[in-house]
Formats: sequence, structure tokens, C-alpha cells
Amino acid sequence: MARLRTGAAVRAATIKAAYTMKIVRNAEVMWREEDEARAQAYEGLSRGDDVSEVGTSILFSDGVMLSLNLLGTEIWKICDGKSIDRIVSELLPHFDADPDVLKKDTIRFIAELAQKGFIRYEE
Amino acid sequence: MKNETLLKAPLTINWAVTNRCNFKCRHCYSRTDPSEELSGTTLFACIEKIVKAGVLSINFGGGEPLLRKDLIEIAAFSSGKGLRVSMNSNGYLIDLGRAKSLKAAGFSKVGISLDSHVPDVHDGFRGIPGSHRKAVAALAYLRDAGIKTSISTVICKINHTAVQELIAFAEQHGVQQLNFHNFKCSGLGYSNKDELDLSPAEWKEFYLAAMKAKERVVEMEISLDDPIVASLGLNTNVKTLVKGSVCGKLSLNIKSNGDITPCGFIPIVTGNIVTDELREIWTNSPVLEKMRHKQPTGKCAACSDYAECLGGCSARALALTGDINNPDPHCWVP
Repeated sequence: MARLRTGAAVRAATIKAAYTMKIVRNAEVMWREEDEARAQAYEGLSRGDDVSEVGTSILFSDGVMLSLNLLGTEIWKICDGKSIDRIVSELLPHFDADPDVLKKDTIRFIAELAQKGFIRYEE
Repeated sequence: MKNETLLKAPLTINWAVTNRCNFKCRHCYSRTDPSEELSGTTLFACIEKIVKAGVLSINFGGGEPLLRKDLIEIAAFSSGKGLRVSMNSNGYLIDLGRAKSLKAAGFSKVGISLDSHVPDVHDGFRGIPGSHRKAVAALAYLRDAGIKTSISTVICKINHTAVQELIAFAEQHGVQQLNFHNFKCSGLGYSNKDELDLSPAEWKEFYLAAMKAKERVVEMEISLDDPIVASLGLNTNVKTLVKGSVCGKLSLNIKSNGDITPCGFIPIVTGNIVTDELREIWTNSPVLEKMRHKQPTGKCAACSDYAECLGGCSARALALTGDINNPDPHCWVP
């Protein structure tokens, strides 16, 4: 799952919101993909390697910097006002994962980003 | 020792667009720099280069950046290219009209230098009577114009025991961030270091007080930005992606003539943005390579905190010992 290097307990409220509200990237966050790392991750995937520790994007806001792995980056990129169900349905064709497990993991990831202020929820 | 993350390009460029200044600060590192300034046209081309390289933000400094008459145009061009634009200023030239112009040009944040909550102390340090009053007024104008503000305070003999007062002052003026900058021995900062710099014991005492305050204050970000804080042994529950100094790992400095240096306080030129490609320098510069792979020497070799602080501030080590691998002279560890 996405590698967040600043650990924090995920609160129930942010998880609940992720189930019910639209999920939006905080526009204040500066971010970019790291091309070489991304290529490296895809190469690893093609060999069947575990690439969960390869950071393929950098997020930076108010002095806090996060590195996301391939799956985390793909989730981040489609957080543009979609519901959690829509996000998971867009991820499924690209990742070999059980839908229920993917949804649960994605919600935990989004809730953690929300707790750090990188993600916002909208009605 | 290797840092775990090498980005494809700096996240931030600190760009000293001029060395000219209307102040006479006792610690200044740029006023004595005779480098020429790039023209606006050349700057635009260079800014396009850094955007192409993948840089996300640009922070204008100097000198006093507002002494460049084309700063608004430069900033508007930068923000128009998608860069997050900020600036460090002494605030003297910012009135409400100027603040609105800065907002229109895309400035998201402006840092104002304020070294004391006591006007006379600040004015004496900055060499200009009335500069404290103008700086405080600038904070209000910027806030009214919708620009985030921060206060930048250079910690030295004049203010190191006033942590609580400085924080209360910053809170009173509604800034988003308070930056406690450690004293650098560059330019006049080197010439005046015996008078202004703290002893290692004083640095430890300051950082203990500042870290304690940082835990307490939640509405305003307090930035310490000094790797030797790791030597306090405090559990902050914050893991950083980059250990040690961020210079050359997250950011680079560009001087008024386009010369690229790891930071504003390390006078080693790694290239020039007018003639060189940023990504080439970022990836292949031997100087940056050395900064990213520091080797512990002296007391650092046996220090249990080295993995976190990586010898502290490379600029200080270089300025006072001649080698970035030597222990940071501010370090209090025996």
C-alpha cells in the first residue's frame, strides 16, 4: 500500500468521511511524479518484485513532505472530486487486487492524507 | 552515508534576484557580493528552464528583491508558468498598494524579516531606524491583500533568550509561520560572528526552548530548519524524507548573476542557470554529490545521532572549518 513516511493514527472520523463524501486533492499541495522512480517501479512490477517501497511521487505542503509509491500516486492523481467507489473502480483495471481489500486500503490511505491536510472532503 | 531520496530536480529554487539592499544588516551575506544582475529577459528564459526541469516553487530573495523594479513582472511570469511564488523581504517597501500588486502577480506567501519583538533591537540589528514599524505594517498589508505571511528571525545574541516573546509577537500579528533561522557565518555574518553567534551550549538551550514551544503552539507553524536539533534526542514523532541539511537535496540557490550554489551560504558555484541545464547539474555535480554523501569525521564518527543530523549544517562547517564533512561548529555534543 502507499508508503506514508510520517506515521499517524487514522481517526475514525476521516475514515467515515472517505466512505460518504467526495475526495479532493488540497490545491495548496505542491506535487510531482518522479519519472525515473516511476519507470523503476514499473520495471520492478513487470519482474514481479515488491515495489511498495519505491516512491514515485513527492507531495509537499507547509513544510511536510510525503513520498507515495506507485499505487498511492495513482490514487492521489484521481482524487479530483470522485467518490471512493469511483476511485476504486478506476484503480481496479490497473492493479491485481481484491476489490474489497483495495477499497479498504484506499480508504485508510485517503483518510491518512486527509488527516495531514493533503486531502479534503466535499459534499 | 547515503540519503534515501534523490529527486529528479529541486523542489524549490531560492533565487537572489539582486544583491542591492536598502538595509545595513550586521549579519548580511549578500550586500558585499559584487555579482551582476541578470536582465529581466534573461531571467524569464532561466525561469522557463527551471519549470522544464520540474521545479515546483521559487522563493525570491536578495538583497531586497523589491529593489528590482521588474520583480512584479518576474513573479507574474513565474506564477503563470505554474510555479508557487514566494519572497523574503525586509518589508520596508510594502504598502497596501504594493501588497495588492504582489497578490495579483501570484505571490502566495511573503516572509518578513523581524529579529526582535523590541523595535529598537530590530532597528539596531538591521541598521535602519523605523524598520521594525515598517515590517509590522507590511505584515498587515500583506494579510489584507490575501497573502500568507511568515516572520523570519535570525537567531543570534540579540534574541536567543526571547523565544516566548518572539512567538507571542508572531501570534499577535497573525502570521502562518515563524522561521527561526540559525546564524550563518557568511559575508558580514562571518566578520561579526564573535559578537553575534552563540556558543554550542547557548544553541542547545535555545533549541530546547524552541522545541518545547513548537509542541505547544498549534495554530502557527514554527520552523527550526537546523539538522543539529536531532542531537537533542527528543522524540518528535516526525520522520523526515531527507536527513541532515536540505540544501542540494530539496533545494538549490541561484545568485543574482545566475550562478548556482547548493545554498545561499555556500559559495561553491556548481554551474550557471544561463548557460547550463539544471537537471544536469542537479544529477551530476560533484559538489552536490559530496553534500548528499557526507562522511562523518571527528566526534561525528562515534555519534549516535549522526544518521539523523548528518553532521549538521554544511555551510557552517565549511565556513568555519573548511570542510563540509567536519562537525557543525554549533553542535553541543561533546
